This record gives sequence, structure tokens and C-alpha cells, in this order.
Amino acid sequence: MIFGKKKKDDREVETYLKLTPKVLLLYLAIIVFCVVIILPLVIVFSSSLRHVSNQSSPLLLFREFTLESYITAFNNMNYPAELLNSIITTGGSVLVVVLIAPMAAYPIARIKSKLARFLYVFFISGLVIPSQMVIVPIAQTFSRLGIPNTRFTPMLMFITCSLPFSVFLFAGFMKGVPVEIEEAAYIDGATLSQRFWLVVYPLLKPAIVSTVITQGLWIWNDYFYPMVFITKKAQYSLPVGMLQFLGDKENPAQWNVLFAACVLCALPLIIVFLILQKHFVNGIAAGAVKG
Amino acid sequence: MKKKRDKALVFSNKMYLFLIPALSFFLILWVYPVLQLFYYSVTNFNGIDYNYDFVGLKNYIKIFENGSVINSIGNTLIYTLVVVVLSNVLGLAAAMALNTKIHFKGLFRTTAYFPALFSAIVVGFIWTYVYMPSSGMIASLISLFGGDGSTFNPLGDFNVALFAIALVEVWKSFGTTMIIYLAGLQTVDESLLEAGRIDGCTEWQLMRKVKLPLISSTITINVILNVIAGLKAFDYSFIMTNGGPGKSTKTLMFQIYEIAFTDQKMGRASAFSVVSFLVIIAITVAMLFIMNKREVEL
Amino acid sequence: MKNKKFLSVLCAAAMAMTMLAGCGSTAGSGEAAEGAATAQEEKANAELEESTDTYDHEAIENAGDITITMMVSGTAAENDFETEVLPELINKKWPNLTLEVTKLPDDNYYTSLKTKLASGECPDIILTQPMYAGQNSCYALADAGYLAPLNDMDFVAKMPDLSAVTYDGKLVTATNSVSILGTYYNKAIFEEAGIKDVPKTWDEFLEDCEKIKAAGHTPIVMGDKDQYVLQFGLYQIAANEIYPKDAEYDQKLRTGETAFTDEGTWDTVLSMYNELYENGYIDATQSLGYGASQAITDFIDGKAAMTFDGSFNAAAILGQGEGGDFERGYFPIPAKSGDTHTATCLSAGYSIYSGSEYVDECKELIDYWFNGESDVWDAYVATGRFIVTYGNGADSIPNSDLFAPFIELLNQDKGHHWCNQAWPAGTENTMEELFSEMIGGQGTTVEDITNGMQDKFEDLLDE
Repeated sequence: MIFGKKKKDDREVETYLKLTPKVLLLYLAIIVFCVVIILPLVIVFSSSLRHVSNQSSPLLLFREFTLESYITAFNNMNYPAELLNSIITTGGSVLVVVLIAPMAAYPIARIKSKLARFLYVFFISGLVIPSQMVIVPIAQTFSRLGIPNTRFTPMLMFITCSLPFSVFLFAGFMKGVPVEIEEAAYIDGATLSQRFWLVVYPLLKPAIVSTVITQGLWIWNDYFYPMVFITKKAQYSLPVGMLQFLGDKENPAQWNVLFAACVLCALPLIIVFLILQKHFVNGIAAGAVKG
Repeated sequence: MKKKRDKALVFSNKMYLFLIPALSFFLILWVYPVLQLFYYSVTNFNGIDYNYDFVGLKNYIKIFENGSVINSIGNTLIYTLVVVVLSNVLGLAAAMALNTKIHFKGLFRTTAYFPALFSAIVVGFIWTYVYMPSSGMIASLISLFGGDGSTFNPLGDFNVALFAIALVEVWKSFGTTMIIYLAGLQTVDESLLEAGRIDGCTEWQLMRKVKLPLISSTITINVILNVIAGLKAFDYSFIMTNGGPGKSTKTLMFQIYEIAFTDQKMGRASAFSVVSFLVIIAITVAMLFIMNKREVEL
Repeated sequence: MKNKKFLSVLCAAAMAMTMLAGCGSTAGSGEAAEGAATAQEEKANAELEESTDTYDHEAIENAGDITITMMVSGTAAENDFETEVLPELINKKWPNLTLEVTKLPDDNYYTSLKTKLASGECPDIILTQPMYAGQNSCYALADAGYLAPLNDMDFVAKMPDLSAVTYDGKLVTATNSVSILGTYYNKAIFEEAGIKDVPKTWDEFLEDCEKIKAAGHTPIVMGDKDQYVLQFGLYQIAANEIYPKDAEYDQKLRTGETAFTDEGTWDTVLSMYNELYENGYIDATQSLGYGASQAITDFIDGKAAMTFDGSFNAAAILGQGEGGDFERGYFPIPAKSGDTHTATCLSAGYSIYSGSEYVDECKELIDYWFNGESDVWDAYVATGRFIVTYGNGADSIPNSDLFAPFIELLNQDKGHHWCNQAWPAGTENTMEELFSEMIGGQGTTVEDITNGMQDKFEDLLDE
């Protein structure tokens, strides 16, 4: 149903391939492939629509429809509040990133010097260290700077950790923005910041969309920073709330509720993705290919 | 010459001011903590007690004496190889299939990208179920088609578990890789291909001689991103297998995490991080170098 | 079961602990012993200091509106005690006090705890484990100065011995219950296999497994993919085969008087446990891919006759599955000699962060909770997760008949600490890894495991 609309988005007015046996085989291969990819998710969805205690084989797809698991998950997670927190955290972090990452990428992409080249590599090197490793020194840094644990603390880390990839993406994309446009603006007497914000920045839209999606995705799904830097339950975001469904040696996971929680957590993303997917593909194209 | 001077005027060093906000975040909240980590690598810090002592290079010597390093590096390289090869081959193949004029292209693309929307922790739990012996998804399917599902136990098998979790990474990351390839392929000029066809090239020749060289920078990006993701592998070992069975799925990052947190040897873990940081940088730079060179040759 | 008996239980546990504690101090003063670990050891075993002062028992009343934070490990159940019931009852008792409780799965709890200590934002009350156990071991945290001394709390008088949570003379963890490792069994399957009574010796235990196998059932199901469950069986065997012969075994490990490689100690324990795999009573090809919760599910579905697990999992193991409402029992793995001991000891408890602004308030809160008669106490006991040792409900805790055999052993002074509580954290992981390799057919031998454990142990002690 949702996908029906999608088809129109592809402005493929050209003729489709004729249904020769070879093409049919291609369709078949793609369909099988998609089924393999989507099957685990279908099972998750079907299980989430079962009663909490229904433990029969999850392969018996869609034999039961009840929102019981969803209601349990919804209430235990305090969904509306956590959803709001997730939106604030993700939205706020991504907003800052799409402002400061292109700014940083600007000199890196435009100036041809050893320093610029070094800064480029310097930022990228941030990609290779995982956060679990540095978490203790980071916490100490916060303590030294006198930054308390508030809902904004994890955002600082989200912004920082998004920078390497975003700078990489924007620098790559910016190289494809013709310098002549800027030279023209320069001759017209535009200042440096006017040139950047009014001339270059609007042209970065595909890369911005791509950053919003790629960085928004991991920030939305990350439980690590909110878990360690937020003390008040009322400030938890969705992934932290979901942790409680995972089960451990004292309470085995209730799969149906866990799956319902997974769906609830991913739902806003799925909606945004379905709306933005066209931009997304173009954005990734723009950002990555020219990098 | 004149042109160059103009450029310097248009793109003056004042532009570096634009770096300030991002660089401050990066330096204070990332580089400084990382340097702190470098310092811990020459101390006996345990992660809790801040009365630690300087121990020189002892931590570095210890990690090289210790066999667990070789094990975890080996596991990480295998994992990375599986992810890079499968993700790129499947991603490229799917992108090529979707780059033809077929129906439901958008639907297929959406489907392939769907797994990327879920967090690693969710994916880990879904696949724990998929791989579960006897009552898991694959085991049930095997039984359904008359096989013996109870013997299917990838996460419990010393020789298979690592590949099983690498496959999960492929499942999740494949969509992104494919979309990047798709984007790359769309930049290939159709007229070039037409010209090739007129010259009597087969599709296979067209792909090897025209398409692949033209998307070589896309290949570089995909490979590098997958290599970095593979070398940093942690999530699925942590969520799905806890490094087991035995230590067969302990990756580099998992090993470091375990030394830092379970064994409470933050100093040694830091030394380990420093070494792996250097190794990953070296591998990445070497790959960039080789691939860039290839790009030129192609 | 009467209060008195429970009190004697505690005395027994206490004695077991004191025995361990006592020998430690001699070890600590040994001349061969040097280095931080030994110094720590010495402190660890000092006697609980008598407190003369007392804390402000009106602290909360005089505090105005305050928020106390608390962090524990585990996953929240429906109507969870720590995250829902406790804050509500506390707020009812003191309307000016808000208790903010966070519950995180174990690994995440440890990481969070370390980060929060590093950033100086540690919650006021945290969950800690006895002695050296785990990453939240009370000895390690106390050594770093993070735990406030609790010697002046009221509940202390009710507990005959708290040496496992006393460091350098200071009580650092408030705990009032014991935890058990044992063998849950399905009485219906036992009957079907013609087993009349629970086995009294190791050989009988093996025979019973054989009978169950012959009757077409899986004797024991384990979730060895979560490697920590290996401890559930191994520590029961160690309680039988090691500590009765040498109660100071673990203390001597730290001074080098004993080693994991000593004959008749861990080699015996590991070989005995391995017999269960070799004979197919536990199916390694399956268990290595099974998570702990799947194993429990199999047990309650009636697919296996036994599973090794702790008292903390009783609620899950007594749950209803496809197996219906079959009767369940709980017994300790019997000793070779028939003189069975049990891995039953003090549970994890609650510590107060030394940097907390509200140390006295926290003490008042915990004392109210632990006083044996408050509504918080009643709700706490009613969860069935804690085997409390005094106060209301100590004689009627849920499932007390299930735990009776263990309590009886404790009364006979046959309760022992869980091995990893006395080891530096991480030793048990090596044991689990190598043992998994052995049962997974990787050619690892018992000797490899004891050597590996010894190496790891020495490596961890080396600062």
C-alpha cells in the first residue's frame, strides 16, 4: 500500500524491459533476494501482533492480531515522552551538524594547501575509533569542563561523532560545486560569509539531506550516549527505553513485546524514510559519489 | 599564474575561521579524550581508581605477549573480509539489476534498504532468533522442508559463528552499499554504453571496460566504509554471541572492551586501542592509496 | 519455617564467611605477599569496626524537596519492584523525597557505572556485589574510595555477619539476603524415568541422568551461548569438592600457596562437569547456540529434566510454558562423597556513593526499607527474588519450600561463596571460554583450562 505511491515517484517514462525469459529470471532473482532480506522483519512484525504469552512458532505468520504486545511496550516505554526526547535529541544534533559540518568542509574543499589536506584526514581519522573505548576519558572531560548530565550532554557527543563522516561527505560534495559561481559572487562584492551561506550552502541541499538521513539514523538508534550521560528517566530516548525489554539472566526476554518495542522504535524512522527516500537516494548519490 | 592569484584572493586563509565550531567540538570532545587514552596506555589505571601509576611500556609488552591479540586480530580480519566482499559484490550486483528498466524498482530499493533503519541492538536480537537452534527461523524453515532443523546451530559452532555474525552485518549494511552503487551507476553516461554496444561489445565487456572504471571512486568509497565498519566490529559479538563460543567471535574491539571493563585493566586496554588505532589508520590509508592508484590506472 | 531457623541460617553463612575472612588476614601478612593486590586483600578482611556515632535519622524529614537517584542492574519486569513500587512507596512515606531509579541490563549497567564515576555523576545508591565479584564488586569500588561507610546503619544489628561486604573495617554494601546456585528439576520427568528421590551422590546423579536419557528425555538443558551459565554448575561442584577440603583455597590463591593447577582441585571440578557433556547429558552442540533464556524456556516447556540456575531466576523457572503446570524441585549437585555442600552466600546489595550529597538521607531510606516490617520491606519480600534472612516474611518467602534443602545445608555450615567472588574479575571468563572450547571439541583439555585460569589469575593480580 505504502509502496504503491512510491512507484509514481520514479519518473520512469521510458519503456520498461520486455518480458523475455532472461528478464523474468532477473525479476525472479530480485524477488527472491528481497524476500530473503525482508523475511526476518516480516516475522518480527507478525510476532509483535501476537499475545504477549504466545510462544508458538513465529513462522505461523499473522495467525493472530492483537495490539496487546504493543500496548505493553507502549506503556512500559512511556512512549510519547521518549518519542519526544528522541525527536529533540536527534533533531537538535542533526541541525547543528548540518550547520557546522559544511562550514568546516568549506575551507577544506576550497583551499589547496597541505593544512587543508591534513585537516581532511584529521577529521576522517575520527571515524576509526569506537566510542566504547573513549567513553571514560570523555566522561572525565565533561567533569573537568563542569558539564553536568542533562538531556543535552548526549547531544554534544552525537554532534562530535557525526562530524567526521559529515565533513568527509560535505567536502567531497563541495568539490563538485563549480568555483566559478563563487568567483562571480566575489566579483559582485559578496563577503566570505555571504558567499558561503547565500551561494554555496543552498547548493548543498542533496548533501544536507544525505547527512540528515545517515547521521539521523545512527543518532536515533544509539542508546549508548543517552544511557551513560542521562540520569533522569524522564529524559530517556526510545533506544534506552527499549533496553529494558532485552531481558537478562533474571528476566528472559518476552520476544513479542521486544519485537513490538522494536517496531515502535523504528516506526518514526520508517515513516520519515518512506517520505524522504527519493531525496535520500539522490543525496547519497551526490555526497558519496563525488567524494 | 594570474588565475592562481585570483583563486587565493577568492579563497583566502580567512576561510579557516569557518572551521572553528566543528573543530572545537572535535578537539575538546574527541581528540583530547583520545590523547587521554594514549596517556592511560602507559599507566596501570583500572578504570575506577584514579590513583594510578606510570608503568612505562609494560602494557604494550603485555599485549604482544598475549595470544588473545592474535586471535582477535585474526577474527577481525576474517569478519572484515566477509563483510567487504559480500556487501560489495551483492550490493553491486543488486545495483546493476536495479539500474535496468524494470518495474517496481523503488519497491526493491526500499526493501533492500529497510534493514539499515533498525539499530544494531534490534538487529542483533532479531538474528539471534533467526539463528536459534531448533525453534529459530532458519531451523524451522529447514524442518518445514523436511530437513533436520535441530542440528542447525551456527552461533554454537566454533567454525561458523564468526561468519554467521558477519552475515548479519552484511544484511544490515548491504542496502546502503547498494544505494551508493546505484547512485554511482546513474552517473554513467548512457551514450558511452550505446557507443560500446554499437562497437559490438558484450554486456560483460561493457561492465568491465566501461562501467567499473567509471564508478571506481564509488567502489573506493564503499570498500573503505565497509573496511572501517568491519575493523570496528563490536555490536554483534557483544549482543549475539558475547565473543563465544570460546573466543571464536571475539573481535578486536570486543577484546579491548573486555580488557577494559571485565578485566578492569583500562591501561592495557588503552595500549591495545592505540595499537589498533594505528593499525586501522594504516590499513585505511593503504587502501585509499591502492584504490586511488587503481582509479587512475583504470 | 520459623524465624529462628532463618537466623541460624544466617549464622551459618556468617561463619562460612568469617572462616574465609579470618584466613585471609594471615595470608595478607605473609612476607611473600607484596603489591597492591595483597594490601587490598589485607584491608578486605579487616573486622567490621564498631560504630559509636550514628547518622541523622531525621535527615529526609529536614531536607526539604530532594531527589535521590539509584541505579541497579537487571531488566524491569511488570510492576517492577525497584523502578516502580519502591519509588512510589518511598514517596508515600516521605512526600518531599523523589526516588529516581534506573535499571539497566548487566553489561550496560557496568559501563554506565564506570562512566558515571568518571564524570562524578554517580547515582546516590548503586548495586554492588560481595567481595571481588564482577565489575561492581564492593571491594574494588571501596578501594577507590567511592563507597560511603554504612557501619552506623540500623539494619546491621540484624545481620550476624557482613564480612563479605566489609572492606578495611567499613561496611560498604547493605544486603540482607542470600543467593543460591542449584539444580532445578522436573518432578514429572523424574517420576517417569523411575527416579524416586533426588540424588545423594555424584554417581547417583550420573545414574539418574542416564535413566532420564534412557526414558527419551533430555537430562539437562543449559544456555551455554551465554557463557556465564557455566558458573551455575561449576560453582556447585566446587562447593562440594574444593572448599570442604580447604576453606581457604581462594585466599591461598592470592599468596601462591595454592593454584588452580593443584591436583584434586579445579581439575576434579572441571572433569566432573565435563562428564555431563561427554555422556551427552548436556548436548554441547545445542547448548553452545542456546541463550540462557532459551534454556529456561525449554525447561518450562517440559523439554528437559533439569537445568542449573540460581535462586534469582526462580520466578522465571517456575513460570508456565508448553509443559503445563508440572511440579518443580531444586537440589544442590551432590558431592562425590555424598557430603554435599552448597554454593549459597550473601547476595548483592546496595551501596551509597561517597560523593553523594545525601548520604544520611540514603541511609535513612535504606534502613526504612530494610527494617523488616515497613511496607517497602513487604513489597521487597513479595517479589520472591530475595531470600531474606530476618523480619516479616522471612519464614514465608515465596518458594521457601523450594529453597529448603539449601537452607538446611547452610544451617549445617555447608554454604560457600561463589568462586568468582574471591577471584579478580575476569578469571571466570577465561574459565568459561576454555571450558566452552573443550565441550565444543576444540581439543582443549582440563589441564589447559586450569593453566589458563592460573595465568589469567596471576595476570589480573599483577598491577
